[in-house]
Amino acid sequence: MAKIIIDNQEVECQEGITVLQAASKAGWDVPHYCFHPGLSIAASCRLCLMEQKMPHPQTREMGWSPKLMPACQTPVRDGLEVRFASDKVKQNRANCLEFYLLDHPLDCPVCDQAGECHLQDYSQRFGNAESRMVDQKHVTPKKDIGPKTLLYTDRCVLCTRCVRFTQEISGTNELCLTNRGSKNEIDVFPGRPLDNPLQGNVVDLCPVGCLLDKSFLFKRRVWELKGTPSTCPGCAMGCSIRVDQADEHVYRLKPRYNPKVNDWWMCDEGRFGFEYVHDDKRIAAPVVRRGKDKTTPEWQDLPGILKTRFETHVREHEGASVAVVLSPFMACEEAWLLIRFIRDIAPSAVLVMGPVPVEGEDQQFPAGATGDAVKFTILKEKCPNKRGIEMLLEAAGGETLAFDAFVEKATAGEFSAGWVVGGYPKAWVEKPVGKAAAKFELLVAQDMFENEFTAAADIVLPACAWVERDGSFANHAGLIQPFARSIEPPAGAMRDGQYLFETAGFEGIYSGERVRELMAATIPAFNEVCEAPPVPAHTH
Amino acid sequence: MAKFEPILLKNRGVVNSTALKVYESRGGYQALRKALKMTPETITEEVKKANLRGRGGAGFPAGVKWGFLPKDRTRTLLCVNGDESEPPTFCNRVLMENDPHQLIEGTIISAFATQAQVAYIYLRVEFHEVFHIVQKAIDEAYAAGILGKNILGSDYSLDCYIHRGAGAYVCGEETGLIESIEGKRGQPRIKPPFPAIEGLFRLPTVVNNVETLSCVPHIIERGGDWFSSIGPEHSTGPKLFSISGPVKNPGCYEAAMDITMRDLLEREDMGGGMLPGKKLKGVLPGGISMGVLTADELDMKMDFADPAKYGLLGLGTAAAVVFDESTDIRAVLRNVARFYASESCGQCTQCREGTAWMNKMATRIESGAGRNEDLDILLETARNMGMMPGLSICGLPDGATFPIETIVKKYRGELEAAIAAQSAEAAEQILQTMN
Repeated sequence: MAKIIIDNQEVECQEGITVLQAASKAGWDVPHYCFHPGLSIAASCRLCLMEQKMPHPQTREMGWSPKLMPACQTPVRDGLEVRFASDKVKQNRANCLEFYLLDHPLDCPVCDQAGECHLQDYSQRFGNAESRMVDQKHVTPKKDIGPKTLLYTDRCVLCTRCVRFTQEISGTNELCLTNRGSKNEIDVFPGRPLDNPLQGNVVDLCPVGCLLDKSFLFKRRVWELKGTPSTCPGCAMGCSIRVDQADEHVYRLKPRYNPKVNDWWMCDEGRFGFEYVHDDKRIAAPVVRRGKDKTTPEWQDLPGILKTRFETHVREHEGASVAVVLSPFMACEEAWLLIRFIRDIAPSAVLVMGPVPVEGEDQQFPAGATGDAVKFTILKEKCPNKRGIEMLLEAAGGETLAFDAFVEKATAGEFSAGWVVGGYPKAWVEKPVGKAAAKFELLVAQDMFENEFTAAADIVLPACAWVERDGSFANHAGLIQPFARSIEPPAGAMRDGQYLFETAGFEGIYSGERVRELMAATIPAFNEVCEAPPVPAHTH
Repeated sequence: MAKFEPILLKNRGVVNSTALKVYESRGGYQALRKALKMTPETITEEVKKANLRGRGGAGFPAGVKWGFLPKDRTRTLLCVNGDESEPPTFCNRVLMENDPHQLIEGTIISAFATQAQVAYIYLRVEFHEVFHIVQKAIDEAYAAGILGKNILGSDYSLDCYIHRGAGAYVCGEETGLIESIEGKRGQPRIKPPFPAIEGLFRLPTVVNNVETLSCVPHIIERGGDWFSSIGPEHSTGPKLFSISGPVKNPGCYEAAMDITMRDLLEREDMGGGMLPGKKLKGVLPGGISMGVLTADELDMKMDFADPAKYGLLGLGTAAAVVFDESTDIRAVLRNVARFYASESCGQCTQCREGTAWMNKMATRIESGAGRNEDLDILLETARNMGMMPGLSICGLPDGATFPIETIVKKYRGELEAAIAAQSAEAAEQILQTMN
């Protein structure tokens, strides 16, 4: 730890960080654009400048240096004394912000970034109300730089975060600076659009409304959005994310800083992979079939129905054989509740790991990097909780099966009753399973979309998308990461956790945390969850 | 005043002065032979003793710069700064066009003193002829065993390459130059680390100006004491001065740094005075970046110390450009502002936006729609940018502000009179069409 003095206050900070980071952490709002902790230091926006005490070159007496120093480029060291609260520093910020707005179109009313724009915020806090420039603004164009992203060069503050991201993190080098001086523009090279698996991060990095997502463009004002901390279910990495919703509709996903998992980044696949949540074809209500008769039971009756049906089945069938397919899209808590329910009734029930979707190979960024040079990884295992289900299967003991073996045995009629959980965002029943599904005397299918299991099931339960549930996923490295509920399930549906909680014999409101406490009693790993650390308020 | 015996320009005017054999017949490469028998440390000591200050503009002592190299380095690179991008400056060009071997000799000695393995001569792209001349001299030197492996039979080897720029003023800044050689966008790097620690290709690097290195053979040949005896104590050695504009003899001249701007302009063996019928209005004495002198300030000494007394940034490139009474000061202001607006690399906000804004104001003032408050804003903007107050990575904006600040301060009366003489209607119309 180092002790430095900022504006006459002693601040303890970690060695090796910059003064800007130390000040932000201690609550100072130091304006900055070019600095980002995940990127190299550019020290070019000259907004974070501060005064620093230095020895006089001749007398060695300590005094404020006549030069302003960039806080982003100055490492902390014990005894360093700086100040931001001086007139000189404030004057520089005001001048700098006046400069930034000289050629800016001031089109906040139609700009997507308005409300979360650091040019707006800083101008209001540190800038001047009016520009003194009477001359014509230099107008630069709006550019379509890739399939997913727009570049409004006239709003750009030329912090070059986006350029450095493509150089240092994605390693794809699509973005560059063209021209010189105030005619500088961010651009792509001819014929090489910004199109890499991590490109969405440049929109997050952009402190102003220059880089914007086409998918979010003009959809919603950002102050109407409500953010919920969550974990991305796109692959086994489990990036920490924030779900931004308004009126029970998810508009966008943003990465949250988590040094153990994703740092500041997320991939496009995860970022844009939530469309299925609002698909009309989702199963929204439970169905109970008796022969050709189809009814929709009341939710409060459902736990009773499920319990009675399974108990009756086991009681009335000599040698009843029960199988449960657990999906790697389930939360650990949900899977634990289901296992508990089924093993209570049928202690020898077979537990099956649902299919684990795999696409291509793991992708590392920048391409070709190894060891510490790897900045981001997209895993080929396209589900969030395979590891968590494995942990639960291990803890539950008894007979387990792989999915293919389960289908084979089911087709041979070896199971009399089953509960199959899906919840995959894409069609997951790849091989025909109609024959297998028809052999069950009692089959419960819990899923989001119709398939051969739901078609044959005696009871169909709607599964909810992860943004509608809460619980935790264990990522590829075994980190148990909680995710919170962001929106309500579609009308008619109930959260999986809640009905499983009641079915397993508990009363009251389900919460992931409450169930984790119960789980931890037998599975100690659940004592500890990995939460993304809080980020100081003024960092961006 | 005793006639100054040219040192750096002694081979100018000699027939075929660029040829190796002519250079050698006039004593060339003797200093190199001598230097190769010395140790790198003694050479550096001699250069320190000579108090050779960098001729590129900032005037940093060359020997001290070499001393910043880390002691435990294994590889070192030397960059020769021949970007000479400062407007009205043509001292390096004259040196390289007339005496390329003097530069090569200085480069080899300096490279030996810094134990560099490779030297890069960085030339601005517009130096087409210079490029061919210097390249030919390098080829000749290689063929004669002066460059390459085991120079003149010694253990020391050096490779020398020319790298041509792509036309950016800012590549004359040493780290901008380094980025440019690396093939990147020419923009200065943040410091620290300084080039001596981590420069070209992340190796310890020395960057010296062409004229600075051309002095080195003479220091070795005749000693640091001899060199430091020329000119005032703080500004030693011979210096090239160039003068252009409506003067009788525009050109490049060599002198000690005790001459005044008036000498450079009026001496018969130098500028020779104004052209007939022309009356001097002002002069930008150190390239345009240092600021302006009025007709009353010509007694400024062309050394490293005196310019500050006249509100100038420094000696700069010691290249004076003169303008006469027929020149509209608004045009001077606009031309200067336009240059920096187009040459700012655009990294640092204050420089990028400030130079562009100053250009807009200067352009409007020239076109007849100026306002008195523009002059105040120009002065304020000039104070709000630059490396000296810590607002930029490199010194380009300091060079942009000094001419503008000094022009506005020293010619404010004339600017205000021009603004007052504007027709209000026409000014309004111009303002409308410009917006």
